[in-house]
Amino acid sequence: MSAGNMRGAAAVVGVAEQHYRRGEAPHSEKRMTLEVILEACVDAGINPREIDGFVSYAGGPNDGAIIGGALLIDELRWSNMMWGGGGGSVAAAITNAAAAIATGQAECVVVYRAMSQEDTGRLGYAKYHYGSHFLAHGIGSPAQICAMRTQRMLEHGGVPRSAMRALVLAAYQHAQNNPTAQGYGRPLDEDTYEKSRLIAEPFHLFDCSRESDGAVALVLVSAERAKTLRPDPAYLLAGAQGAPGGFSELIDNDLGEQYMSAGFGPANNGKPGVAQRLWAGAGLGPDDVDVVQVYENFSGPAVAALIDHGLCPPGEAAGTFMTVENLTAPGGKLPINTSGGNLADSFVNGLNLAVEAVRQIRGTSTNPVANAKTSLFIGGPMAPLVSSVLFGHEDTL
Amino acid sequence: MTTTEPWGPAPDGLDRPYWEGLLEGELRLQRCTGCSTWIWGPQAICGTCHSFDIGWETVEPVGTVYSWNRSWYPYMDEYADKLPYVTVLVELPHAGGRRVLGILTDDIDTNPEIGDPVVGVFEHTEGATWPLLRWRRTGTTEEGEQR
Repeated sequence: MSAGNMRGAAAVVGVAEQHYRRGEAPHSEKRMTLEVILEACVDAGINPREIDGFVSYAGGPNDGAIIGGALLIDELRWSNMMWGGGGGSVAAAITNAAAAIATGQAECVVVYRAMSQEDTGRLGYAKYHYGSHFLAHGIGSPAQICAMRTQRMLEHGGVPRSAMRALVLAAYQHAQNNPTAQGYGRPLDEDTYEKSRLIAEPFHLFDCSRESDGAVALVLVSAERAKTLRPDPAYLLAGAQGAPGGFSELIDNDLGEQYMSAGFGPANNGKPGVAQRLWAGAGLGPDDVDVVQVYENFSGPAVAALIDHGLCPPGEAAGTFMTVENLTAPGGKLPINTSGGNLADSFVNGLNLAVEAVRQIRGTSTNPVANAKTSLFIGGPMAPLVSSVLFGHEDTL
Repeated sequence: MTTTEPWGPAPDGLDRPYWEGLLEGELRLQRCTGCSTWIWGPQAICGTCHSFDIGWETVEPVGTVYSWNRSWYPYMDEYADKLPYVTVLVELPHAGGRRVLGILTDDIDTNPEIGDPVVGVFEHTEGATWPLLRWRRTGTTEEGEQR
């Protein structure tokens, strides 16, 4: 059975998100989860009791039995937590839901994530996640680890730092059209970006994701059902997860030059890797993508992820391609992070980016890409497990 | 000895020879007894030949900078008074190109460059349980080490 067998089998029919400044959530993660699931069901036009599958990622106690029990659903059939990778597995969670539907294990699956600083603290400070051989050398955060990998991409890989800057400025430009973005009304210019304080060199402040409180839910059903619910389902054309064996997991002893990649590139011993499997499953390639949401934990890893997917050339040419003009809707060659992304909209562990990817298929983004038929969502780069998912309009089936 | 250092041997003892090596002023890394592959970070199995027969060997602490980062934000309380500091990832030619992390002790206001040769410095801070392996660029003095 090839990955292509899943092509178009499932679709996102309902989405909902809520976000607040970090530390300002009015409710617990559980309450916010329940709220966004109900809102996503309204958006989809389904009864919440129909939900029989629950998928999340990056941890959290509110599993399918707990949330399904609270909603008093008809039957729980699928309750999965993606293993490892933090935000790296965000797109894999969507693929997991689609796999359940494609194989008949479940019929209506919700993918969700909630974050409240009150409940679980801040992600960027999860320092004791790291072992002795990092901590002893002053490395205790994802920022520092991604910074070192980015430094090699810049210095050895020859990618100009302007590629990172363009990604950040494009996100802020998009946020100025999105009234719910946390960066709305706060435009960012090149000078402010360059003069912002250093965090973990080469990252300045604006290279780093914000953190928000909030919750996000996406409801998936079969393609057949989707057609009866709404005119604009976002079909899952393909999804892929993984990384080369040992990637980002052996205290920076990734094989070859994998260290400066984002983990989506070719795997070991000639195996294809996440990006190549994604394209193969979709029967499409990077040139066929209309709009991209790429998880920017930090700007550098996001650039590496675009390179891994073949969306941006490697090396010096990345600087020519990565310009604010090219990366912004409506006219750019490859609009990215059209809601403002993790940097300038909100960060609910990146699942909010998937909602924006769906909006682009529906044509309801605040920065719509005209006639977008394919919408790519790339999950957290440089994590030990990464993932991406390609959505398509009905016309692409 | 009491300590608040959040590092040292893992509870399962897997990497204890590394830390004991530091006490004796030596860098010790894992090497597969069967196929001679150098292994780092510490593992119970050789990823190359899947032997569980892993030994420890002393490695000359010289290498080149594979990448680096200068930390400005106090992510770790233990290093908050050292900001900014530079951490280097050092590739070790005498250990099959395995890479180890360490803090740079020479004049860190001057950016390292990938490929810079570095030499290890064993630093045992007074009161600390475990020494740590720091690095300085070859040909530099250790001026600035007490920054």
